[in-house]
Amino acid sequence: MAVNLYWMHCGGCGGDSMSMLNAESPNIIETIHELDINVLWHPSFSFAPPADHRRLLDALISREVGLDILCIEGAVIRGPENTGMFGIFEGKPKKNLVAQLADRAGIVIAIGTCASFGGVTGAGATDAVGLQFSKKDIGGFLGKNFRSGKGLPVINLPGCPVHPTVLMGMLTAAARGVSMDLNTYNAPLEYYSMLVHQGCTRNEYHEYRIEETDFGQKGCLFFHLGCQGPLAHAPCNKFLWNNRNCKTRSGVPCNGCTEPDFPRDDPYFYTPNIVGLPIHLPDGVNRPHYLAYKSMAAAAAPDRLKHRKTEV
Amino acid sequence: MINIPLNRVEGDLELHLELDGDRIANSWSSGIMFRGFENILRGRAPRDGLVLTPRVCGICGTAHLLAAAKALDMLCGVIVPDNAVMTRNLTLLAEHIQSDIRHGILMFMNDFINPLYQDQPFYSEARLRYEPFRGTSVIKAIRETKKILEIIAIVGGQWPNTSFMVPGGIATTPTFNDMVGCDYIERSFTGWYEREILGCSLERWAEVTSLADLDTWLEEKPDHTQGDLGFFIRCARMTGLDRIGGGHGNFISTGLKDLQPYSTRAVEPLLMSSGFIAKGEKFEFDQALIAEHVAFSRFEGYGSGLHPFEGITIPAFDPNPDKYSWAKAPRYNDHPAETGPLAEALIDGDPLFADLVRQQGPTAFSRELARFTRPAKLLPLMKKIIRTIDPKAPYYRPVGDIPDGRAYGLIEACRGTLGHWLEVQDGAIARYQIITPTAWNGSPRDANAIRGPWEEAIIGTSVKDPDNPVELGHIIRSFDACLVCAVHFCTRK
Repeated sequence: MAVNLYWMHCGGCGGDSMSMLNAESPNIIETIHELDINVLWHPSFSFAPPADHRRLLDALISREVGLDILCIEGAVIRGPENTGMFGIFEGKPKKNLVAQLADRAGIVIAIGTCASFGGVTGAGATDAVGLQFSKKDIGGFLGKNFRSGKGLPVINLPGCPVHPTVLMGMLTAAARGVSMDLNTYNAPLEYYSMLVHQGCTRNEYHEYRIEETDFGQKGCLFFHLGCQGPLAHAPCNKFLWNNRNCKTRSGVPCNGCTEPDFPRDDPYFYTPNIVGLPIHLPDGVNRPHYLAYKSMAAAAAPDRLKHRKTEV
Repeated sequence: MINIPLNRVEGDLELHLELDGDRIANSWSSGIMFRGFENILRGRAPRDGLVLTPRVCGICGTAHLLAAAKALDMLCGVIVPDNAVMTRNLTLLAEHIQSDIRHGILMFMNDFINPLYQDQPFYSEARLRYEPFRGTSVIKAIRETKKILEIIAIVGGQWPNTSFMVPGGIATTPTFNDMVGCDYIERSFTGWYEREILGCSLERWAEVTSLADLDTWLEEKPDHTQGDLGFFIRCARMTGLDRIGGGHGNFISTGLKDLQPYSTRAVEPLLMSSGFIAKGEKFEFDQALIAEHVAFSRFEGYGSGLHPFEGITIPAFDPNPDKYSWAKAPRYNDHPAETGPLAEALIDGDPLFADLVRQQGPTAFSRELARFTRPAKLLPLMKKIIRTIDPKAPYYRPVGDIPDGRAYGLIEACRGTLGHWLEVQDGAIARYQIITPTAWNGSPRDANAIRGPWEEAIIGTSVKDPDNPVELGHIIRSFDACLVCAVHFCTRK
């Protein structure tokens, strides 16, 4: 039995669709074939003429065609003054279509940080929000009581962009009816209970408090260069990106793009600190003990790390 | 009057058309999504553009990162190490090639399986090749473009949306083994591109320097007609793409720079030259001649055009039927100009495209041909860069705090000329104006009521079925439209 999927672009950049194409083992082709997904519409790839697309939408709204999976990429634009006219389709606010399709869908998946929490688009002046969250606050566009046809809240897959392996996994769960345990922000724990920091090749430098103050070195980026690795929930250092690498391994600070408050107001590439210790410590860590541990760790640091002899 | 929403463009686009019989008598192109970035960068730290501007566009974030980094380089007056210049360019080229192939195979070619063409001799083969997520060429293009992007991940952490370029160079330090990885990826991709897309070697393709050569090449071997390029040429000719989509005939390109022109050392030759062409005559490129108009854009009005350093972006909420797009109208010396691979090739003096445009004018065919074949020029450049980077030499020169002032970064993104204009005051961003390739190509009318490039390019086109305007799809998609990009960032405080 084919699984009907409709993909919609709202207030975003299309980056999640591009990220989707980078999935590997399973890739998007294998996933669609294996799960017998019928992609009714994807705005970047479908070739049906506009009139046929309109007929499809009518059939989905009248429930003549079933909608098993609704993927929404991008934030829901509500402005100006709740008219939604900053983002329209066929002359009408696109947000109305989002509400209609979400009401018909078996499961609704928010693809990326904009659709989940508002993200970069939400930081603009268009009153854009996530489907069921506005930053950390539950509610968003559909409201906190929204449940899809299968009785589920919107499943959030944050990330700017979403990691393609996460997307393939969630599509598989949705198509096979596997229920995923969710965190506070309705993102699957399987992917979002770990921190970006876990698995970073700079971890040993972090362990002994070998912290860098400028780019191009081998040490850790957390204390001075604004790395969010120990705070951001995502599998970047487990699955890696493009099968090769990730930002923190290569020396680029994590900017916490999976978090509900992305983009934060603080400057990037800089860590706010008190007496040399970051104000925001790793997720859940006790400050006095962390201070003691870091002092001892720094004292124990081996010369090979102090002199950046160990490759990362 | 009819309104047509168009997909397979990045972002949201609607065309408003006035028909005379079945011919387009007048056209208005509306960017129908406004993301309102005004508040995002203003007041933020100067380096924050490196994180936020790549998120303007999901398909060319590396290009935005490069433009942002170059603006900051200029502000700091820093001479970026050669290694960093080369690594930045390497990732830009990988992104170009990814975009050219994904656009061509995944977004452009499937117009040939439009129901209108059901009776055409190419239809069943087109369907086998280009059906979304199933076509044979689609599957290969997804696999190979994914591979070439690994180069950006190897040297820059990930694609899309890394922030590895920083003022002074790059934050990463690619090793010898990283270059080995890049080398093999480039070689494998080139092999696939020659085998499946061109149907011939890069060297053989480089010998095609005129329309007559192109015809000879096509007939030379079955491999040439069977590749995706040959198939495109055959379909395009049978559907008349070489007769539609003309436009103003003005072109703009900033070229591809080996080393920044504002560095204090001697400027090395450009990899591709910059310039502006109007009515066949080429002029030197000068960013001071760029201005943006809002007479027909949904922003608070000002007299005529403003240079981006003076740019103002205040959305106009009052319904005003004259103002029909969320895109501004950039003009070069008061002229609209198209940008992209065709403009790049013409300004660089490519003989094949000079001949094509001389004989047929710019067309949907020549634009897409330029896009399909651009990797043939870029892949050898990538190889050269990969072999020249010295992993033992520096990738970064520290710059410290970013000083106040004005600066810009101008580059060629996949879809054409991209500029970031930045003003820093009291250590914070006071203004950030971006002009994207699609802002040029998809612009609405300017203060002189002159149409934007693709508004002009569709005039006179015959649309057989307004419910299925595939002819328009060919023309607009030949510009590789990216509406999400056509945004504006920051106003005066």
